Amino acid sequence: MDLQYDTEQTILRDSAEKFLAGRYDYRTFQKTADSAAGWSPEFWSEIAELGWLGLPFAEDDGGFGAGAVEIAILMEAFGKSLVLEPYLPTVVLGGGIVAKLGAPAQRQEILGPVVEGKSRLAFAVQDQAKPTEAKKTANGFTLSGAKKTVLGATMADTLLVSAQIGSGVGVFVVPVATRGVTVRGYRSVDGGRLADIELVDVALPESSLLGGNEQAGAAVEETVQRAIAALSADAVGAMSALVVQTVEYTKTRVQFGQPLAKFQVLQHRMVGMKVKEEEARASCLFATLSLDGSAERRERAVVGAKAKIGRASRAVAQEAIQLHGAIGTTDELSVGGYVKRLLAYEMMFGTTREHLRRYGAIISDPETASHGLLTVAAE
Amino acid sequence: MDLNIAPQDLAFREEVQKFLVANVSKDIQRAVELTSAFINEPEISIDFHRALHKRGWSVFNWPKEYGGSGWTAVQRYIFDTECARYNAPMYNGAGRVMLAPVLMKFGRQDQKDFYLPRIAAGEDHWAQGYSEPGAGSDLASLKCKAESDGDDYIVNGQKIWTTQAHKSNRIFALVRTSNEGKRQEGITFLLVDLDSPGITIRPIHGNGGDHEFNEVFFDNVRVPKSNRVGEENKGWDCAKYLLEFERGGSLSAGRVRAQFTRLVNKIKTHCPDDPDIIARMAELGTDLDAMEMIDISILSALQSGGNPGPVSSLVKMRWSQVRQQIAELTMDAIGEHALKWVVERPLYETLQLPEEDEDLLTAAPRYLNYRAYTIFGGSTEIQTTILAKSMLGL
Repeated sequence: MDLQYDTEQTILRDSAEKFLAGRYDYRTFQKTADSAAGWSPEFWSEIAELGWLGLPFAEDDGGFGAGAVEIAILMEAFGKSLVLEPYLPTVVLGGGIVAKLGAPAQRQEILGPVVEGKSRLAFAVQDQAKPTEAKKTANGFTLSGAKKTVLGATMADTLLVSAQIGSGVGVFVVPVATRGVTVRGYRSVDGGRLADIELVDVALPESSLLGGNEQAGAAVEETVQRAIAALSADAVGAMSALVVQTVEYTKTRVQFGQPLAKFQVLQHRMVGMKVKEEEARASCLFATLSLDGSAERRERAVVGAKAKIGRASRAVAQEAIQLHGAIGTTDELSVGGYVKRLLAYEMMFGTTREHLRRYGAIISDPETASHGLLTVAAE
Repeated sequence: MDLNIAPQDLAFREEVQKFLVANVSKDIQRAVELTSAFINEPEISIDFHRALHKRGWSVFNWPKEYGGSGWTAVQRYIFDTECARYNAPMYNGAGRVMLAPVLMKFGRQDQKDFYLPRIAAGEDHWAQGYSEPGAGSDLASLKCKAESDGDDYIVNGQKIWTTQAHKSNRIFALVRTSNEGKRQEGITFLLVDLDSPGITIRPIHGNGGDHEFNEVFFDNVRVPKSNRVGEENKGWDCAKYLLEFERGGSLSAGRVRAQFTRLVNKIKTHCPDDPDIIARMAELGTDLDAMEMIDISILSALQSGGNPGPVSSLVKMRWSQVRQQIAELTMDAIGEHALKWVVERPLYETLQLPEEDEDLLTAAPRYLNYRAYTIFGGSTEIQTTILAKSMLGL
């Protein structure tokens, strides 16, 4: 058991926060959100140069072999700075599923350009009404269906698309420009971009199936869970920024002849926010450190974290608005940006309510409920 | 970073489990289960404490030079968790967890030599003499006074909310030795034998039906000056140091998880399909996981030579709330079973019911008794004010 950052992790955290504090202020966020594309190619090149785009990939695939903790460190920093660029869809979701399932040639072909900042990915995993289907043809597959709520698809050149193959599941590499693919992008509440994707008889070569794997259901689920853990770190970053800004604001805002921060009733409410942030951080760390464990443990930790952090984030967001007073209800200050970032967190990859229900089912088993969080290391 | 238990720790866990099986009888487990008070009475905890002492484990959290076990942070966690899972009783935290660290830091050598081994062996049972009728959250306003008379002090005044004073043979007390200057600078830390002439103990019965608290009256009680810990008028340093241990000195995760598991079992029996109860249980489960992670991060910080810092107020505050909420939901889950009330205590002596039902009788008393969790040891409001300063710089 060890919950201290090592030296390299500390350096990563400090350098990420320092870089983003100088490079990505609230105006940058607003400009990026309001731009046509919704992301900045310049910023993307800069973080490629910092090596962040290759962080979790194996050295053989051109990456740096870092783990979930390093991803969480970066994501927390992104949350603090409201970064809109498609790190999660490209590196954690798209890159994650390619690293997990891809054959060596596929990994090199797809991840190489990702690490260099030349390619961006999106993982189209959620189906609209019915499951997307892949039918085998003489030369490969034909893909048909409709995906929803795809993060980063409007910024991507390559899609990873999950589909049923008979009774199994596979993940296909689909260049956005492929005939039959329509990406309908829209702006999300937090200034990001989502898309619905229509796939009409999309003809794909046999080599487009990741790893030739037709039983990829578990890998898909694990990749989504890794994304939820990463997104949770982003939410923790946003919450911590809200706490800091609320405290700072009440120190400067004077009413009744003194700063608001002098009123004990407000101090106590800000402590309430801080405590929620700390619990959210702890919950996120449990999820992060459980990602490489058994499927049961990973599910318990990730589902629990999404439920806990969703609940905490809504309370912190509401308090931040209330303690800022009228200005908190606008987009003038970054409070508005963080509040909407957290709202998006709650609704993405299954809502807080849905996760709470799932966690309730998991923990209803007394044996599971009784287990402490330290665990026997996997062999 | 990891949450792993190493192979050598697994062997330790087995050792603890074997020890528990050998030293905690079914009767004692039942007595712990049927204790609705916060603290196990010495009658049900002393034998286990003695067995721990024989094994060298009774004061495992102390430094090795005073008889501590020298366990790693993970071993402490394992011991705690296994004891809680097995319903093992805990003996006299006031001596072991609160007073002992004060003696180690501020006590004279002869005081350490005399008292610490007696605490380790379970020969003394200590009570805490802090609160007074006029000094609760504002502890420094205490008035119970000690006047110099040759080699002795003469103590007059009153302490209140004194947990298990009626089961104790000694009390450590904050007394006023000066009214000059700052209030904090006229307080002295005294060790008093409870059989001294002039001491009267009167019970306070909680609305949960248990007798845990007392009033302790001092009427011209003669206490040798050699029973003072630290210097005269410097007792506030001892008092504050002790509160650090009262608030953050031990792990709560194991005990609270055991309480939560009992709740899960009750829901399974009484209302497995109630979506409102299940949702509240799920929320509590996520709170528990988060708080356990905070407990583990404190262990990790201690293990690498740091100290927990302001987070000890956070854990005191939040664990007490989580415990209350589990007790509350347990009562809600069993519904009308919470109506039946047995007056006599202890329940493990009075009850003659079928075994599977008897613990339902603890739900309402626990719910009521546990309201005190957020009041004693520094109320939630006091902890929040401390946190505003220490965590937010306000």
